[in-house]
This record gives sequence, structure tokens and C-alpha cells, in this order.
Amino acid sequence: MFDFGIVTNWIHTQLTSVMPDGLAIFLECLMIGICLLLLYVIIAIIMIYMERKVCAAFQCRLGPTRVGPWGSIQVICDVFKMLTKEIITIRHSDKFLYNLAPYMVILASVMAFACIPISRGMEILDFNVGILFFMAASSIGIVGILLAGWSSNSKYSLIGAMRSGAQMISYELSVGLSILTIVVLTDTMQFSEIVMRQADGWFIFKGHIPAVIAFVIYLIAGNAEVNRGPFDLPEAESELTAGYHTEYSGMHFGLFYVAEFVNLFIISGIAATIFLGGWMPLHIPGWDGFNAVMDWIPGFIWFFAKAFFIVWLLMWIKWTFPRLRIDQILTLEWKYLVPIGLLNLLLMVIVVVFKLHF
Amino acid sequence: MVKYIKGLFRGIGSLLTGMKVTFVEYFTPKVTQQYPENRAELKMFDRFCGELTMPHDENGNNRCIACGLCQMACPNNTIRITSEMVEDPETGKKKKRLVKYEYDLGSCMFCHLCVNACPHDAIRFSTNFEHAVFTRSKLVKTLNKQQS
Amino acid sequence: MENRIDMKEKIAAMKPSAVWSEAGDGMFRVPATSFRSLAEKLRHEEGFDFLRSLTGMDWGEEGLGCVYHLENTSTGENVVLAAIDPDRENAGIPSVHDLWKGADFNEREAYDFFGIKFLGHPDLRRLFLRDDWKGHPLRKDYDSSLNPLNMENEETSNDAPSYEMTKDGSYILKRHPLFEDQEYVINIGPQHPATHGVLRFLVSLEGETIKKIDVHSGYIHRGIEKLCESLTYPQTLGFTDRLDYLGAMQNRHALCACIEKAMGLEVSERIQCIRTIMDELQRIDSHLLFVSCLCQDMGALTVFFFGFRDREKVLDILEQTTGGRLIQTYNTIGGVQADIHPEFVKKVKEFIKYMRPKLNEYHEVFTGNVIARQRLIGTGVLSREDAISFGATGGTGRASGWACDVRKRHPYAMYGKVDFKEIVLHNGDCFDRYMVRMLEIEQSLNIIEQLIDNIPEGEWQMKVKPVIKLPEGSWYTAVEGSRGEFGVYIESRGDKSPYRMKFRSTGLPLVSCIDTISRNAKIADLIAIGGTLDYVVPDIDR
Repeated sequence: MFDFGIVTNWIHTQLTSVMPDGLAIFLECLMIGICLLLLYVIIAIIMIYMERKVCAAFQCRLGPTRVGPWGSIQVICDVFKMLTKEIITIRHSDKFLYNLAPYMVILASVMAFACIPISRGMEILDFNVGILFFMAASSIGIVGILLAGWSSNSKYSLIGAMRSGAQMISYELSVGLSILTIVVLTDTMQFSEIVMRQADGWFIFKGHIPAVIAFVIYLIAGNAEVNRGPFDLPEAESELTAGYHTEYSGMHFGLFYVAEFVNLFIISGIAATIFLGGWMPLHIPGWDGFNAVMDWIPGFIWFFAKAFFIVWLLMWIKWTFPRLRIDQILTLEWKYLVPIGLLNLLLMVIVVVFKLHF
Repeated sequence: MVKYIKGLFRGIGSLLTGMKVTFVEYFTPKVTQQYPENRAELKMFDRFCGELTMPHDENGNNRCIACGLCQMACPNNTIRITSEMVEDPETGKKKKRLVKYEYDLGSCMFCHLCVNACPHDAIRFSTNFEHAVFTRSKLVKTLNKQQS
Repeated sequence: MENRIDMKEKIAAMKPSAVWSEAGDGMFRVPATSFRSLAEKLRHEEGFDFLRSLTGMDWGEEGLGCVYHLENTSTGENVVLAAIDPDRENAGIPSVHDLWKGADFNEREAYDFFGIKFLGHPDLRRLFLRDDWKGHPLRKDYDSSLNPLNMENEETSNDAPSYEMTKDGSYILKRHPLFEDQEYVINIGPQHPATHGVLRFLVSLEGETIKKIDVHSGYIHRGIEKLCESLTYPQTLGFTDRLDYLGAMQNRHALCACIEKAMGLEVSERIQCIRTIMDELQRIDSHLLFVSCLCQDMGALTVFFFGFRDREKVLDILEQTTGGRLIQTYNTIGGVQADIHPEFVKKVKEFIKYMRPKLNEYHEVFTGNVIARQRLIGTGVLSREDAISFGATGGTGRASGWACDVRKRHPYAMYGKVDFKEIVLHNGDCFDRYMVRMLEIEQSLNIIEQLIDNIPEGEWQMKVKPVIKLPEGSWYTAVEGSRGEFGVYIESRGDKSPYRMKFRSTGLPLVSCIDTISRNAKIADLIAIGGTLDYVVPDIDR
């Protein structure tokens, strides 16, 4: 398996040979930051294109077909359109918070994005409490959404924001519980470590029953966490027109929009990492020939394939089900997901203590 | 408790049934018609009412006798007929002749009353549906061909 | 109709001042002063619990008044009353909003159009026109130059006027605030994705819970009834397609049937049969759109597209024969515009074969879905009494357990001869309202299946005179539209254009009950309620 760390180390030695250490590290940070943002944008564009095509296919439509082959340039054109749109200021809004909100959302999203290990040696933020950091970073997004709803001085936005506050804070719990289940199994909170432990089998296989339950809970809660249907109440377009971002226009709206899609990718990426082995190829113990073939496929392809598969799964769910109501969303969380999650955690502890896992 | 668990599984079951339907739909051929591309083979039903037309024969003659019944039948004053009296050179009788048959597509509500009223089948609806123009005045059409 | 002779004597005994007038369907003319006590008796003692239609009238010299079409839902008896106040300047008729809840909005409409003051009505605002409109347009002495095109914004008022009569015959105007100062009032509509058109709800909220709803309509009021008064009978036909655009066939059927009844014209079996099939195709079209829109409102966009995919098939069949997709202009006085297309029978059969399995697909993806059930079952319950009192007919009434299908109550066209089941469910919640429509699609398919092979030979257009004049009198004809009883009331003075033409809107009773059934529901429920009530805004506003 190719280790991307060789490349980064080579760049580091090249840089330190011509300049002092401090400057080299500063330059590296800059490069990584730029690469991160570029990747972020590319992922967002791919995700939006994928959403449009996948949802069209579920709805007996074709989706974008006109711009570029199979409409592939459509989203890029849309991005340019969005960039040229006027950002309208609302007269009675709280200007500072109103302008700050989209950046809070995008900031949280980028920070969480940086946690994902894409390939061996391609981890940007990787330290021993990575999962804790990821959870903390992704929760900042709620603040942005609440601010957006509050500061736009619109009743629709406010209701949307309040809904999302109630919903996201609740579902954070289930996301945490299901991740914790895997942490119990791996006894580490470092993402790269978690991936490495799955070299001889993904956790969804190794942890069998509790892992599968945790996986399902994680998908449901993660979907709710990023406000996507059937949990898209904060922006329920048929009830609140557009929820918390009703009053936003131009790129400010674009930031919310992009963040939503990348958040979906992040949720899928984390699910792929902790349940489906991240960039680790599919290894079946004993089948050495098969394992060798699998190793030929580069890690980042494995990672993206898994992540996009989960994205597709979540899109399938979104485009099949009607939206829940606010009290039902809370019922689902507090009466179903949390108790089941807690029991599942207990089950996982039993499995680990008695070494019932593979 | 039993009810809770039963409800849980029944709920998940119903969700999976729904997902099955959309999954099948994912792989069925799509029904989208790609309009400007399929213009050549796109054929409207022959009774489709696109706009009012006045058919002309190969000599450029229409069958309108400028009687004005269609104009009277129209609820929206969509049709305006200008006629003149001419003397028939053979019989010497005075006869009404159509000068201009104006039809405002913008106010037509396709109620068929004009077509029904016409005693000579001089007007009928055509299947043309591409009506977009830039100004409203272009929607006012002269249906009869000006005779030279 | 025999019952009515009995009623005639009863009413004559109850109120000697009531005068029977024979022309047309016939009606009792009652002076405004004694109307209220007669109405109370009819409501409470005789059991006339359904106000089919309330029509404001301007009888010129005789004064202003209203025509009430009443029905006893348990016996099926019908009675027509007219309340008349000869004082044109200050016409006042006692309100009956407490006897029939459906009268509430209808009286507001009559006030709006005729300036009749309904005494004791708690909220006598204009219903359709702007608050600053001058005069009352359907009065015969209305001067249209009073209201040039107004480019100013309307001042919104937050109070409801009501009129009470003092002993000496003058009126006291009272005003009550609609909403308190501290209420969190949110505007849903006129431009909102879930109101299906330009309808506006002022919703007072407490958290997410709805405390009160105030309905504002009239955003696409086109004055169709006023327009009809200056047009000939064939010309009025064009408007019916534009009322409830998902019931174009049935609406036009009602108007044609009413005019034919007034002319004394019997149409051939073939025409009846074609009209019946077309009505049912239109009903399927409308119900499919209902399902799609409900699903879209509830966030299941995929089902929305499924519905449109299947609706396209119906529209293709209709288009091939009628030449229109939404606006069909098919029925004419004494027939239909054109004979059915040679391929019509084949295509309809194909469609029936196609549609049945597809219905199952809807049930799998939406009806059985746990989220949909959770959201629909038990929300927005409309009781049977309320449904009748509001006059909420159609699927909404039948979901509340009221067998209100005009096709069964007053069979017309071929409905007396075909075998179909009237779907009646009993919970009155959103889910039942949804299920009624889904099951009705099946029944409509059954009706079409029975008729499609047996379309009798005959003419498709009867001979009618080029100029159609109706004799003096008044007529009311109702059909089962896509979303309830659609009625046409014509009052003729023997001219070639109607003296007064009123369309009983199917949607107006539906929106008038929305306040009652969505109190204490959530905003999301309001969307589901609005979706399942299945109103069409142009039909409300006319």
C-alpha cells in the first residue's frame, strides 16, 4: 500500500534544506490549507452534481444534460452564477451576526473535513483524540445556523433555526454514542489508528451485531445532523420556504448550500472510516491472492468509493421518504435511537470483554 | 414493550418497502422528453389547439366570407375582421370581401366558439405550439394571406 | 322531488309570509325580517343540516337578498329559500353562520359583492376584493368607473367589523381585533410553496403550535360571475374550465347540464356516456395530482414525480380527444365539442391496465410508510357534523363519514346506471382524506371500465338553436367535481345572457374549515391539512 507520508516527508526535507524550519512549516501549512480548500470545493461540486443526477434517476428524470457531457459542467456554471449574484442586506437584520453566520457554518465544516484520513499518510489533523476533536468541530455548525436564523429578523428563519437547534443537539448524542461503540472496540480515538486496526477486517464485520446496529444508528443520526431529508425540517421548503437561510442570497447562501453537501460527505467519510475501514482495502483473512489484488487499488480510491457509496445510500433514503414532524424527530431520537444506542454500547462492551468479536 | 418492538420492526419494514420501489425506479428507463432535441419526431395530436389558422388552398384563396360570426361569437374580442364591399364583375351583385383577419393569440382562450360559428369552415386550430415572442404586439396575427 | 311538495305545505304552514314562486326549480321567497326564524326551524326541527349553496342576489326593484339551497342529509330533501330585503341602500339579512358554519364565508362573499349586511355575523370583512374597494360590483347599479386600476398597496386592517341592528332599524358597527398585539403571527402565503396558489393564511403561533388561522383569499379573483352576466350562454362555458382547473370537465358538465335543464333539452345516451367517462378521467387526473402534491408538501418529492408521470398518461388521452391538456373546452350546450377519437377506447383500456399496478406502487412507497402514517393519522380531524355544517363535500366530507357524493345523492349522466362504491371513511383525519382519494381512483377506473366498451351509438351534438335563450326562472345543478359538489345556479330573465350566474365553489367550504381543524396542530400539520383538503385556489376565488 502506497504511503503518502513519503511525499510529504520529501517536501519537508526539500523545504528545510533551503530555508529555516519555521518558515518551512509555515509554507507547508499554507500549502495544506490551500489543498484542503481546493479539495473541499471539488468535493462540493461533485456532491451537488451527484445529488442532482441521483435524485433525477430516482424520480424517473434525467437530471442535468445540457451543459457539458451529461451535464457535468452544470454545477461549475452554477457556482459561477452564485458568485456573481448580489448579496442582499436585510434592513432590520443584525448585520454583524448575519454576515458572520455562513462563515461559522463553513468553518465548522472545514475543520471537520480536515479530520478525515483519505489515504495512508494523507491525514491532515491526526492526533490521539481525533474523534473528540471531530465531534467538537462539527458541532460549531449549529451556532452558525442559530445565528443565521436569529439575525435575519425573519419569522420563518427563526423557526427554522430553533428547529435545527433542537434537532442537531439531540442527534449529536446518537452520533456520539454510535462512534463510542466503535471506540470501545478499538480502544483508540485516533483516526489513523482506527483505520490501521481494520487491516484484517472492517469493523462492521469484526464487531458484527453491535457494529451493524451502531452503523445504522450512525447513518440515521448523521443524516439528521446534516439536516438532510427526511430530517430536513430546519429548511423544510414546503413549510418554511427555506428555513434558516430564507433571507440569504448570493454566495452567503452558497456557503450554506456547499456546507450542507460537504457535511453530508463528511458524515459519509467518517462512517466509511470507522465502520468500513476507511482507505483500507477489503481483506479477507486467508485469501492472500485476493488480498494482494485488493492492495493494488490505491487507498484514496477505496476511501472515496466507500464514502460515495454511503452518500448514495443517504441520497436514496432522502429521495424516498417524506419529512418528519418536529415532535416525531425528537421522539425518534429520545425514544428510539438513544435507548437503542445505549443498549448497543452495553452489548459492545460485553462483546469486547468476552472477546466475542473477530 | 412488545408493541414498541413490533412498531419498530414494522416501521423499518415499511421504510424498506418504500426503498425497494425507488430502487427499482432507479434502474427503469426515464420518461423525460428532451424537448428541443426531439423537435423533429415530436408530433402533437391532430386535435391539439395551438392557435387559430385560416387554411388557404394552392391558389392562396381562403374560404372566409367576412360574415363576422366568429367575431361575434368570441367572448374576448380576440378576432377583428376588416371587410370591404366589392362588386362581383360577373353578376354585378355587391358582395362582402375579407380585407384583413386579425387574431390576437394573447387573448384567445381556445373556447372553439369561433370555429363552431363559422359556416364555411374557413378557420380551424392548428397544432403549432411554439408561440414565444418578445412583445405582445407580435401575438396579434393576420390570418388571411394578403391577395395581390 | 315528491318530498318537496310535502315541504311546500310545511313551509307554508310555518311561515305564511313565505311565497312560493314556480319559475325554474322554484323557491320560497321570504321577507328578510321573518327569514331567521324560518331558517332556525328548518335547521333544528326539519333537519336541513347542509347549506348547499348561498347566492347573493340583486333583484332590482324587489331589493337585495340571498338564495339558500338547503338539503337534509338524512332524507335527501331539498329546499330553496330566498330572503329578500327591499331596502336597497341598507339591505340587512339576519346571518345564519351559527346554523350552518359554511354560511360564514359565503355571507362574507355576498357582503363583498352586494353590500348586504348580515346582522350578527361576527366578521363581516370583504372576502375577495380589497378592503378599499368602492361599491359592490355585482349590484346592478354598480358603477365600474369608481374603481380605476389601483397601484397602491392595500392597508392591512387587524379588525373584524360586525353589524347589529337596533330597535329603530339602524345599524351599529362594531369592530373586534383579529389578533392580539403580542401574538406571534406568521404569514403563510400568498406566495408560499405549500398553499398551492395564491392563498394567504395569517397564522398565530405559540412555538410551533397553531392558535388561530385567518384565511385571506381573493388574490386571483377574476370576477367570473360578473363577467358571465354580460356574455351569452355559450360564451360563459369557457370560464368553467378556469375555475377548478383540475375539474375542467366536471365544471363544464355542470354548467352545460344546468343550461340544458333550463332549456328542457335531453341529450343522447352517447353524450351522457362520453361525459361520464371524461369526468372520471378528469377525476383520476385530479386525484393523482392531489397525491403528488401532498407528497411534495410532506417532503417526499419522488412520489410527486411518480404522480406526474402517471397523470401524463391521462392528459395524453384527454388531449387526443379534446385538444387541450388543462383547459379542455370539451362539453358544449347539448353535446360535446367533438366525437371521441378513434383511438380513445383502446388508449383508455391500456391506461386502466397500466394504472392498477401503479396504484400499488403508491401504496408501497407512501401509504404504508411509517413516517407518512405518523404524520397523517390523527391530524386535522374534521368531525362529520362539522363537515356537513361547513358543507365540506367531496373527498374531505367522505373521509369524515358523510356520504356526500352527488353521483349517488342526485345521480346524473350515467352514474345511476353504473355500479360503483361510494368510498366513505370515518376518522376524518388527514390519512382518511388521503385514502379516500386513493380508493376513488380505483372506483373511477371501475366506472370507466364498465362504460368504455358500451358507449352507445348516437349523435355527439344535439341540435340547438344558434342563439340560446333561457326562459325566466332559476335553476341549480350540481355535479360531483374532483373535490366536491360543484354547483351552478342560473337566474334567467329570458335573455341570451344570464341575469345572475353563481358557481358553488368546491374549495371555499374547504378553506373555511381550516381554522377549526388545524387549531393546536403544528405548522407541519397545517401543510398536511392543506394538502389533504385539496383545494384549488382559482376555484375559491373565482
